[in-house]
Amino acid sequence: MKKTHIILIVIIAVAIGAILTTLNNTSTYASFQEAKDSPDNEFHIVGKLDKEKETIYDPKVNANLFTFYMRDNKGTESKVVLHKNKPQDFERSEQIVLIGKMQMNGNEFHASEILMKCPSKYNDGKPQEDK
Amino acid sequence: MEYVGEHLGVGKVGNLFVIFSFVFALLASISYFFAAKENDESASWKKIARITFRLHGISVIGIVVSLFIMLQNHYFEYEYVWHHSNKAMPMRYILSCFWEGQEGSFLLWTFWHVILGLILQRTSKNWEAPVMATISLVQAFLASMLLGVFVFEHRIGSNPFTVLLREHPDFSNIPLFGKPDYLEKLDGRGLNPLLQNYWMTIHPPTLFLGFASTVVPFAYAIAGLWKKRYSEWVRPALPWAFFGVMILGTGVLMGGAWAYEALSFGGFWAWDPVENASLVPWLTFVGAAHVMLINRNSPQSLFITFLLPILTFLLILYATFLTRSGILGESSVHAFTDLGMSGQLLIYLLFFVFLAIVLIAINMKNFPRNKEEEGLWSREFWMFVGSIVLLVSSFQITFYTSMPVWNKLFDLHRAPAKDVVAFYNTWQLPFAVITLLLIAVGQFFKYKHTDLNVFIKKMSYSFIASLIFTAFISYSLNYFNKPFYALLLFAAVFATIANADYILRVLKGNVKKAGASISHIGFALMMLGVLISTSKKDFISQNTSGKSVESLGKEFSNNDNILLTVGDTLTMGKYLVTYTGKRYEGINIYFDVDYFTKNNDGTLKKEFSLSPLVQTNPRMGNIAEPDTRHYLTFDVYTHVTYADLESLQAKKKESLDEYDKAKNFPMKTGDTIFSSNAIIILDSLSTKFNKTNYHFSKDDIAVMAYLRVLDITKKYTATPIFVIHNNNIQPLSSKVDPLGLQFSFWKIDPQNGKIEISLQEKKENTRDFIVMQAMIFPYINVLWIGCIIMIIGTILAIMERLRTMKINEKNK
Repeated sequence: MKKTHIILIVIIAVAIGAILTTLNNTSTYASFQEAKDSPDNEFHIVGKLDKEKETIYDPKVNANLFTFYMRDNKGTESKVVLHKNKPQDFERSEQIVLIGKMQMNGNEFHASEILMKCPSKYNDGKPQEDK
Repeated sequence: MEYVGEHLGVGKVGNLFVIFSFVFALLASISYFFAAKENDESASWKKIARITFRLHGISVIGIVVSLFIMLQNHYFEYEYVWHHSNKAMPMRYILSCFWEGQEGSFLLWTFWHVILGLILQRTSKNWEAPVMATISLVQAFLASMLLGVFVFEHRIGSNPFTVLLREHPDFSNIPLFGKPDYLEKLDGRGLNPLLQNYWMTIHPPTLFLGFASTVVPFAYAIAGLWKKRYSEWVRPALPWAFFGVMILGTGVLMGGAWAYEALSFGGFWAWDPVENASLVPWLTFVGAAHVMLINRNSPQSLFITFLLPILTFLLILYATFLTRSGILGESSVHAFTDLGMSGQLLIYLLFFVFLAIVLIAINMKNFPRNKEEEGLWSREFWMFVGSIVLLVSSFQITFYTSMPVWNKLFDLHRAPAKDVVAFYNTWQLPFAVITLLLIAVGQFFKYKHTDLNVFIKKMSYSFIASLIFTAFISYSLNYFNKPFYALLLFAAVFATIANADYILRVLKGNVKKAGASISHIGFALMMLGVLISTSKKDFISQNTSGKSVESLGKEFSNNDNILLTVGDTLTMGKYLVTYTGKRYEGINIYFDVDYFTKNNDGTLKKEFSLSPLVQTNPRMGNIAEPDTRHYLTFDVYTHVTYADLESLQAKKKESLDEYDKAKNFPMKTGDTIFSSNAIIILDSLSTKFNKTNYHFSKDDIAVMAYLRVLDITKKYTATPIFVIHNNNIQPLSSKVDPLGLQFSFWKIDPQNGKIEISLQEKKENTRDFIVMQAMIFPYINVLWIGCIIMIIGTILAIMERLRTMKINEKNK
């Protein structure tokens, strides 16, 4: 067997390893209901902030705890406990992606990460009059 | 309606240039194609080709100048100008506006191609026609991205000269546009404040020059396949490959430095898809340059010599597609939005992928095959292995980064892992170790064959020195329980020492010839800096407030924020920190934080102040920017993660003099309560006090409470009185003005002997606070020094290569 063949085999093995671990290392976009059904697994949940309900952030008590209500893309609403600081400009977010698990018997979604999509950053605002 | 004051002339000229640039690029490509045929007509074709490419170049410069004139003069009637600039913005950011949008950045890229093309026209000699045919074709595709014309109801390209009102007819409903003189009152949306810094001026042109430079080795490789000159193309393409490696590397690293200095990523590298999209072509480019180098010395493994430079360019196209088609959407913070060009970008990408595959497939059977395999102990073999490692490493990054693409292609719903950074690091660490070990030994191997005994003898000094050095550092950094870190540490140290040894003992300190070794040292130091500053990154900000998050489960213990109330001094790592207040400067709010250390006698010594800031922008959202204190051996990096900006703004409007809502406290004699700024003790109650100052009637019942109010320095008294007048409670309140406190005595509860005191505080008493993150990056300077050394080394290598090329030509 030539050396190049050995190298080729090693490359293929590593590449397959990369593909498999990648696929194993992803979570799934899901709804609150799915998260409720399997409380041991971590999920990405996409949804919108419920602006009617209150958001609680009292950094004086705990700067790493923020509570709000979110409605997922299927329309289910859940209380969300984010174990981080309240993100700057939170109220302006158009879409939220949460990463976390359902806890408290499916009543609270505990998130460790949050990604927000703010419409304002790149989207076109309409022209405004110069003041 | 006739509008007054629109400057439509410059747009029309610009538009004309856009069409010209496309047409001439196409013509240049066609005529270069025929010029490359090498028949009787090729000389005249070449003349036409040269002229058309120059006309294309003039057109591109024409577009650039037109766009500049529009931006400089605030012609907001043009969508691009309105979208990316405004009147308030300082003019020094005009360049940033120019390439903030997709059209501008395409233009920047095209511009660099023009410059490279014009240089190649002069320098590439008999390679000019086939090389420039490819480059002109690439230019035609890029120029089409600016066309903005409709073909069969499908728009091709996005034109920077579009007039706002014609592009958005719906805007005419806005009252402003109802007036013919709307321009007088129109202002632009402005440049994203995040991009208003000097990095945005220098990073994009460097990065895009790096992107553009990948086209040269690509075009040479294609020309080599096309003209069946399978090895000859390598020599002229080689300096370009190293030039590209240097510039693209600088561009990528600048991105990292920008992220570290001005963005709140919390580091210099986040494995963000957009970052990866430019890192991956750099890795394959480095591989390409090295296999091309092998090919110069022993013409073998032609397949990979063609594959890597071609792949590099295709990966740049793929990166363009990823970042501009909007497909990354949710997974990246800084991808462009979709301008409806994803189809066009995909065609562009697939065209060149197809072209490359066909050309390689046709020619592969003709590649000369060496019967003899390269020896196991030859330099070329291990350089080849190194390039393969880089290729596999880029495959892993690309595969994971492309998750959104797989989702779309196969209708999956996979989200990235929670800790993307850790996943990439785990995978890339072994690749880095192998690469560094190869860098260490590589140059000690000779081409063709190495005497193993001599090799081992030469390596042994640096090997032993590295072992000792690694053991020493591992001990001080406590790496003994982390074997992989120790391994990477050893590899980086070994690579540094071995290459330094090579310069001193083999090259005898001849710096001119040491380009390769110097850049290898730079790379090794860079990895050393990455390893130490990342693995020893220390969050010194900890939640010191009473409530523990740990009770909610270990996985949520991201305890890395600290709450700082103005005036309080808290411990943070080895520092004591005080938030002294905030300053408003334009759109920025600076939060001043002082850092102290304790002297031996317990007094505080001020070390430095940092002012992380929040940039306020009502239209685009507020942005936090970090502030970092640099020391030789470590950095203190801080950024504000939360500041109550809304109530700050609300507070400015209403009077701070007002009292806040009352809080009620049931108290017994001797009880203590707290306000935000004082301690209050109920000393006694009395009905026998001097009533001369009060106007009580005979039947009134009056009880006075004596309150002792203590702040840090002074003692005050407050004496609220409980009064029942005609069976109504009419208490008399008492104020402590210096502290902004007001007390009222509302209730007596004889059953449990308690009274109720209500306390009101002035609104200004609610003290300002921030939530902040602070971390220490140790030895991050090693990283930056490594970057600079690597760039210098690559420049030396290019200079040396050009010099030997000149000598070779003279000798011919």
